[in-house]
Amino acid sequence: MSRNGWLLLLILALLGTSIWILSSSGTSVLHRQQGNLGLRLGLDLKGGVQVVYTGVFSDNTSDAQKSFDIDAAISSMQKRIDKYGVVEPVIQKLGNDRILVQLPGIGDVDEARRLVEQTAFLEFREVEMNGTGPATLGDYLSENRTGFFETGDIGAEGAPIGREFVDSNGQPVVFIEESDSGLKYVDVDGNAIDPTAIDATMKTGLSWMPAVGEVTREGVTTTVVLTGAYLTDASPQTSSQSSVTTEISVGIKWNSEGTDLFNQVAQRIKNKGSYGTSQRALGIFLDNELLSAPQVFPTTMTESSYGSSASITGNFTWNEARTLAVQLTSGALPISLKELFSSNVSATLGADFVHKALAAGLVGFLVVALFMILYYRLPGVIAILALAVYAILVLAIYKLIPVTMTLAGLAGFIVSLGMAVDANVLIFERMKEELRAGRTLKAAMDAGFSRAWLAIRDSNISTFIACAILYWFGSSIVTSPAVKGFALTLFIGVAVSMFSAIVSTRTFLLSFTGPWATKRLTWFGVEAKSEVEAKDA
Amino acid sequence: MFDFVGKRYWFFLLSALVIVPGIISLAVFGLKPGVDFSSGTSITISLSTEVEEGQLRDEVASLGYSDAIVQKTGDTFLIRIPGEPTTADKQKIVDGIQTRFETEVTVEDFSAVSPIVAAQTARNAAIAIAVASVGILLYITFAFRRMPSPFRWGICAIIALLHDIMVVVGIFSILGWLTGAKVDVMFITGVLTVAGYSVHDTIVVFDRIRENMSKRIGKDFEETVNVSIVQTLTRSLNTSLTVFLVILTLLLLVGGTIHNFTIVLLIGVVTGTYSSVCNASQLLIVWENGEWRRLFSWLPFRRKPNPQT
Repeated sequence: MSRNGWLLLLILALLGTSIWILSSSGTSVLHRQQGNLGLRLGLDLKGGVQVVYTGVFSDNTSDAQKSFDIDAAISSMQKRIDKYGVVEPVIQKLGNDRILVQLPGIGDVDEARRLVEQTAFLEFREVEMNGTGPATLGDYLSENRTGFFETGDIGAEGAPIGREFVDSNGQPVVFIEESDSGLKYVDVDGNAIDPTAIDATMKTGLSWMPAVGEVTREGVTTTVVLTGAYLTDASPQTSSQSSVTTEISVGIKWNSEGTDLFNQVAQRIKNKGSYGTSQRALGIFLDNELLSAPQVFPTTMTESSYGSSASITGNFTWNEARTLAVQLTSGALPISLKELFSSNVSATLGADFVHKALAAGLVGFLVVALFMILYYRLPGVIAILALAVYAILVLAIYKLIPVTMTLAGLAGFIVSLGMAVDANVLIFERMKEELRAGRTLKAAMDAGFSRAWLAIRDSNISTFIACAILYWFGSSIVTSPAVKGFALTLFIGVAVSMFSAIVSTRTFLLSFTGPWATKRLTWFGVEAKSEVEAKDA
Repeated sequence: MFDFVGKRYWFFLLSALVIVPGIISLAVFGLKPGVDFSSGTSITISLSTEVEEGQLRDEVASLGYSDAIVQKTGDTFLIRIPGEPTTADKQKIVDGIQTRFETEVTVEDFSAVSPIVAAQTARNAAIAIAVASVGILLYITFAFRRMPSPFRWGICAIIALLHDIMVVVGIFSILGWLTGAKVDVMFITGVLTVAGYSVHDTIVVFDRIRENMSKRIGKDFEETVNVSIVQTLTRSLNTSLTVFLVILTLLLLVGGTIHNFTIVLLIGVVTGTYSSVCNASQLLIVWENGEWRRLFSWLPFRRKPNPQT
């Protein structure tokens, strides 16, 4: 088979695969989206799922602090969702303590929740130790240890706090407060409970208090909890415990506020020292689960400052450490969130909009086709064929990645149809020039393609470079989904249009023209006069 | 043959006539931020009777909130409008819906919302274009390395790019205070598209100049450039025409929400083609001849004109 035959086969194979990708629906990852050729349509075109969260704050957190934490949570959430490709969610702050999240192209609320909530909420808490490990509810019950309570223990709100115990799911079950008549046990609703009736399985519940410190922002000093929000970096690392064993841990770096907070916490734990058999340790909690409780003993705490880095240990494998590091850097939520309600949401632009836009796309295509055929004759017909292949390939790639088609994306796609014509126009103009100069059809075609190639190459490579820079920029230095999404769709558009012009158009032209065509140069938009000249040449 | 090169200062003048008022307008009035960029009010309501979403959207728009985003969220409706929450707005919307649909409106939630898109997106896009320009500059310099002073070609393409962006943003600023056109994410996408189109178009002309120079067509650089512009003219106009037609279809058949976006693209296609045909290559000649010195000849500290030019 000739080279041209193979190329024709390749184009047909790509076309077939694309049509299969677009038409098939099933349960594979490819085909989770239903309807509209399975393309993921944006919130403006199709709607999606909405979840409203509220931040969990203690009673007297100031409004400014709530607002600050919610903003930080929104930016973490945005980064997190961005990691799943071009999703184009809407994330807004509602009032100063709630977050409105809308995700496009997702039919079920659970999937949306997974996407949003799969973030690691890292928190540091001061844990009381009983000599062998963290003190449990059982320890308190059996020893009635009021000694664990000390004046000067303060909570996030700056008031003395009691002890909260959680079950294995991280849900608080029992609170102990110190009162004049000894220890007072209450349940989550604040009702007093009989300590002797507490379930044996609950006795393993752990207690802690948030590791807090003071920060000063714009002249106002507030008490805040040390959380993952104060991290600048996290990465897996190995450290040698002895000459034979190495331990895998996650190295973390604090930002300046975090460094200051960590020092305050470490100093306080150090100053508490040993108290009876109890000691304080810094517990590291990931999504309410105790990861590790590195004890900070007075003897080892001789320094007055602990610098800006620390490490988290916890019997990790390398992969676990790496996953945790990613979760911490990309999605450390500064506060824990509680879902208020969720529902499906309709398209912001209304249902008829998509139909209008598609109709416009079709009319636009027909207008371009008419122009190309009237002006360029046979090559015009072939360019339109190549353009149809172009449109199908681009849509299939959009579905594979997947790219969220928003209004801007759809309009961009329709515009890119127009721009894809450009490469064809370049080639055909060159062909006409060569035919007028008296070349044979075959020579004119070859010359048309090879001469136009330089212009196509240079203009497209410039666009590729611009796309790469925009994409890199939109996803790293300045997180901007709009810039990133645009760069991706433009890149796909230009790459496929290049293929369409130099492979599809060329192959079709060579396949559909034979020696007969030389006698019918008017079909190529060249006047009969030059036809005679061509014969003479 | 039309003399594109000889009339270059008329072309520059025309560009200045469009750009200067635009820049003045931009400096004085700036751009009007749309609902995407401004903080707003969110009102969640439930209705005692069934009301169709499209009708509700039209009603909210006819109450004077044409920027409002209306969505059905399960059994309730979420309405977002620009501006700080005021009871006046809430009452107007609730009363309007109650009267129009004869239904009982319950306000489930009423609170302030942050902007959908951070205001720095526009600034970020500008920085991104600037960095991308440097990349394009380097590539063009590389692609034209066999030409004398390859750096100039890149600089001239970037000047043409800035020209097109300034035309689009400037005209949009004027439209802002004439017709109240607002800037949203679509606008930014539009400007990015124009930037890409502009460079693409310029390079095609540059490529032809490069080819003609190596073939030694034309008695001097000016003639070579003019021949190249004329040779690529049909292609430039045909490509622009097809893109123009597609966008015009979008404007006429869809309009409404994407009105501003299509306007940006239409202006962009015209200015992108204009700058490729009438500005970019002419700048190469101005640079080659050192004509910019003459422009500043009225300055007291001018250098003596180069005797060779």
